[in-house]
Amino acid sequence: MTAAAVAFWPRLLALVAASTVTACAVSPQHGVGDLASAVQVPATPFYPQERFQCGPAALMTVLDYSGVDTSLDELVERVYLPARQGSLQAELIAATRAYERVPYVLDASLAAIVAELQQQRPVLVLQNLGTSWFPRWHYAVVYAVDPVEKVVRLRSGLDKERETPIPVFLKTWQRAGFWSMTALAPDQLPANPDRERYFSAIAALEETGHLQAAQLGWQAAAQHWPDTTTPLFGLANTAFSLGDPGAAELSYRAVLRLDSSHWGARNNLAYVLAASGHVSEALGELDAALAEPDLSPTWRDELQDTRLEILSMQAGSD
Amino acid sequence: MQARNTAATQNRNRATAGYLRMAVVQSFAFALISLGFVQASHAGFVGTQQVVDAEARQEKLLELSGFLARADVAAELEALGVAPEFVTARLANLTDQEVADLHDRVSDQVAGGDALALVGAVFLVLMILELVGVTDIFKSF
Repeated sequence: MTAAAVAFWPRLLALVAASTVTACAVSPQHGVGDLASAVQVPATPFYPQERFQCGPAALMTVLDYSGVDTSLDELVERVYLPARQGSLQAELIAATRAYERVPYVLDASLAAIVAELQQQRPVLVLQNLGTSWFPRWHYAVVYAVDPVEKVVRLRSGLDKERETPIPVFLKTWQRAGFWSMTALAPDQLPANPDRERYFSAIAALEETGHLQAAQLGWQAAAQHWPDTTTPLFGLANTAFSLGDPGAAELSYRAVLRLDSSHWGARNNLAYVLAASGHVSEALGELDAALAEPDLSPTWRDELQDTRLEILSMQAGSD
Repeated sequence: MQARNTAATQNRNRATAGYLRMAVVQSFAFALISLGFVQASHAGFVGTQQVVDAEARQEKLLELSGFLARADVAAELEALGVAPEFVTARLANLTDQEVADLHDRVSDQVAGGDALALVGAVFLVLMILELVGVTDIFKSF
């Protein structure tokens, strides 16, 4: 054996050791928090993945658990990108909407995952099982966290019960930007909802045409944040889009009781009133708003446009 | 005169009901057949997303009109092997903002799927070969 060959193995070992150590400990703020005993969702189903198709398999796991009737083949059609041999986060989110579930991205901490598990909801996670320079992106579903054994348990790939030590899980999760999501039934709130993020999730359901689901989401939000206008505004808009101007009118008025300068609600109230034939009442709402000195130029334009539109509707029908 | 007015009112009511029905029908039809313009948006009507965006201060300028961005992302998905008959349904559930975020970047996004990049594997092999003294590829000339 030459001297060079003898020197090779220690060098390789040192290199491997260095590459594992450089991914240093994950900051405690992303950790499990002060969990005392194991939390788990034993009824989480298991769908072993086909090659490269951990995205559809992980999504199938959480959707099936939340009562969605679909199949792995259907999800492959919805989220798999053949040339990329994988699935995009945005498409997992979009596909969740397709089944009238609310895709909610959790806070970047294992404690946030634990909080969902405590509500008996498994959590879909993205991991990078490799390194930053040699990535292996992988979707899996966390169904248990055990602070005593110090492990995370996942439905992962072909493993029904993959046990990963918490520090290792945190590193693989950190390399994937701590990304995780839960699929909520439309009338469920996340365990620790971030208000704006939850509102965005429901508004996105509404924007993509899932109006009944969005309406349930706004109802849940309106109960949880009774003093906030957005859920009531969302309820009004979905009611109008679903063909119930009466309910829409009541909800717009509820918004305006909380915030009389919610110009969006004022505008839409006028629109709904006019559409129900109450044109003079509609114009009255707009004129009162247009007389407000603190109205921004953008809203002034918007309200003026609506006024003209209502007048032309009236002219057209006379 | 009275009869005409009543008839006009009825016409207006019918027109209103028809309009609302149309808005709903349109939104479902669009969800199925269009590139995903599903919001029942009427001129003069303020959508919930607009207000949510403004409150969260997340409103970003869309680089292209939503329509062009959707067409481009549809083409990207097709180029990456998605069957044309599924592209529309996949896009329909993305918001305009999500489409804008994906636009031109589908190939740079993380695609979770356990695939190992060939370049990476080659690099690893090359590095071992380099350490063993077989190659000299990383030395500067």
